[in-house]
Amino acid sequence: MSRLKYLGKRLLLSIPVVLFGTSITFVLLRMGPIDPAAAILGGQQTQGGNYEQVRQQLGLHRPLWEQYIDFMVDLFTLKLGQSWVIAQGTPVSELLAQYAPRTLWLGFWSVIVALVIGIPLGFYAGLNPNSWSDYFASFGGIVWRAMPNFWLAVIMVSLISQSQKFGFDWQNWVVSTQVVTPPSLNNLTDPMEFLAALKMVLPAALVLGSASMGNEMRIGRTAVLETKNANYVEVAKAKGAPGRLIVWKHVFRNALIPLIPIISGEAFLLIGGSVLVETVFAINGLGYLFFQAAVNGDLPLVGSLMFVFIVLLVSVNILQDVLYTLVDPRVGYEGEGQ
Amino acid sequence: MSTLETEPRSRGLGERIRSDPEPATVWAGACLLLLSVQFGAVFQTVRALFPGGAVGSYVPAFVGAPVAAAGEFVGSLPTLLTRDVIPNQGYRLPGQGWQETFLGLEPAVAWLVRVALIYVYSLAWLALLWWGYRIFRSEYRAADWTPMDDKVARFRSHYWGISGVVVVFFFVVMAVFAPAMGPTTVERNIQEPFSYEVSYFDEEAGSVATETVGTANFESGSSGTPEENVGPLSYDDYGRFHPIGTLPKGNDMFTFMAAGARISLSIALLSIGISVLIGVGLAVFTAYYKGLSDLVAVIASDSVQAIPQLLLLILLASLLRGTWLGSLYNGAAVLTIIFAATNWPYLWRAIRGPALQIAENEWIDASRSFGQRPRRIMQKHMVPYVTGYMLIYASLSIGGIIISVAGLSYLGLGISAPTPEWGRAVRMGQDYVTTASWHISLIPGVMIVLLVTAFNAFGDGVRDALDPQAETEEDAEIATAGGSGA
Repeated sequence: MSRLKYLGKRLLLSIPVVLFGTSITFVLLRMGPIDPAAAILGGQQTQGGNYEQVRQQLGLHRPLWEQYIDFMVDLFTLKLGQSWVIAQGTPVSELLAQYAPRTLWLGFWSVIVALVIGIPLGFYAGLNPNSWSDYFASFGGIVWRAMPNFWLAVIMVSLISQSQKFGFDWQNWVVSTQVVTPPSLNNLTDPMEFLAALKMVLPAALVLGSASMGNEMRIGRTAVLETKNANYVEVAKAKGAPGRLIVWKHVFRNALIPLIPIISGEAFLLIGGSVLVETVFAINGLGYLFFQAAVNGDLPLVGSLMFVFIVLLVSVNILQDVLYTLVDPRVGYEGEGQ
Repeated sequence: MSTLETEPRSRGLGERIRSDPEPATVWAGACLLLLSVQFGAVFQTVRALFPGGAVGSYVPAFVGAPVAAAGEFVGSLPTLLTRDVIPNQGYRLPGQGWQETFLGLEPAVAWLVRVALIYVYSLAWLALLWWGYRIFRSEYRAADWTPMDDKVARFRSHYWGISGVVVVFFFVVMAVFAPAMGPTTVERNIQEPFSYEVSYFDEEAGSVATETVGTANFESGSSGTPEENVGPLSYDDYGRFHPIGTLPKGNDMFTFMAAGARISLSIALLSIGISVLIGVGLAVFTAYYKGLSDLVAVIASDSVQAIPQLLLLILLASLLRGTWLGSLYNGAAVLTIIFAATNWPYLWRAIRGPALQIAENEWIDASRSFGQRPRRIMQKHMVPYVTGYMLIYASLSIGGIIISVAGLSYLGLGISAPTPEWGRAVRMGQDYVTTASWHISLIPGVMIVLLVTAFNAFGDGVRDALDPQAETEEDAEIATAGGSGA
């Protein structure tokens, strides 16, 4: 099977997945024990003109299957509707444009931070196996991975907002910033603004990337250990290639292969984990928006956001599979292929 | 051949025990002995499992009355490890030492004695179970050796895995004996503090006075300043011992954490159990029939995986708040269902490969040609081979569930409010992390890290024990272990 055909098959398979996932969302929202109109009006109000009006506008008086078709058609034609409670009347697309940049900024840096810290540590541990520094790094990685993000975030916020107590002034370090405020992303071309935005998001990114960092470290270590004893490395050594060249050209490059799914798999963690981390650090991004919408009963907004997340995750999954086949052509297109 | 004739394979375990009942009887006797000292508690627990009042109101009176009477009787049965037998609450009279505590010991020591006894008792059970396994192996098993023996032996020399078991055991005992473990009870200290009283020695009046627990709690909260703080291993003004300090409102934190362990572990273990059932069932089914069934399962699992788990949890937990389903078992029922419904794809994915390989084996073909029914083939010839793998991935994903439950209750969702949950303790203490009351947020987090790491270590141990040369499927493993990002 050619690569193009594989891609086609992957895309075809993703259609029922998105359909099914969105249908589950519909079932939860419309067929669950909660009346969307009552949720919007807050509490148990199930009578009165107001209630009837909301029902009319949401189309709740029509048969369920008609609602279902409407729901699906609207979402798949990207008519995402509007918010009812959080920002009454604001189109969801506008809310997305407003909230998404902060989450993307956070997500981007959490991937980068995890990579920059996790992989070198893992490679270092792999190059010095069974030394004390290896044990320290490996054990640290295991524990670091087991830490709940929200707890880590709480501890981090307290420590850096009280950092003067420990003889270090985080708030005024390099650029003056506050800890529990959303970063301003209006003026990223200005170096000072850029630094400020980066500094504000850095602790949150470190927390959000913590699980991936542990994974990357572990994979990096195993990969180096495996490739270090590979025949081609032996050959390079026998040829008298300098150690640095062996590490960079032969060990490093091949060790990168298993890291791809980890990095792309981070998307899952980021979307879920952003809710808690954004809540603790008061970064009002998509996760925070979703949480507020769910808690305040803004069901139309919740439905649209869920659809966006599902499409996002499915695309990341496809991207990951394609990347995988590009980097490692041996990865099967058939049979075991997912 | 001769051994086969003298000991036909069809002889069941029951028959083998009947032919040589002595070791089994001794073992069962030891079990009964150990059970008898805790008889009352076992029945209490079983009774408490049914939601309060639900049984009473639906059962007609002529059935209900005897049931209630039986409950009364069972409640009066002696139980060794209770706070009634080893009380740790009392007051100190000047010059006369502690009153009303166990043997007049200091409350801290009395509490420690009870906790130590609980662990000794649990260890006795553990030893008994191991002994039972050894008896089964040496006396009653048809085969002298099975591959399982090697796996068990490998696990026993896997110290990282063993240390995981030890920590998990520590927490499981804490969860099982939660009511006897805390210095006080959840009902007395957290749920209805104003219905109970505490006696203490009033130094100003020079006599023993009583106060409601609620008022006493109010005076002994930990809220940051050194004056208003009851830290780990300290007493409050009412002579009550707090092993890991108090919460901001003065509730005993150890009691809170022990009860929280109970909730977290029951949700995690129950939901992973259901997911494992679905995962194994589906894996052998799709591996046996392949084709369309496999494709449908792929699409179904992909769809469930495409919905971000934590967001789904947040959505459902907030939607179902206040409904009957949402308040069943204080919200634990909903969480269990959601985790079970969203975790099976990861488990199924993880063992799909091994299951497909097993389905390719000749013995499957052979038993098919013998006319064995598909159901029996799956049960007898496929399930045993994938359960081991399942154990690995299940123990790795338990950590994610525990973290998610805590994360939800940190957000104020999931387990409803007065019921203890670890995440809520983190929330309560989040303003005091750098103050004198650092223990409130820090200890729950450390406990979660310990427990999750222990489950991961156990999973590692099982993996190495099953197949020491296995190239581990790190992808699947990380997908399962990664959890939902809470």
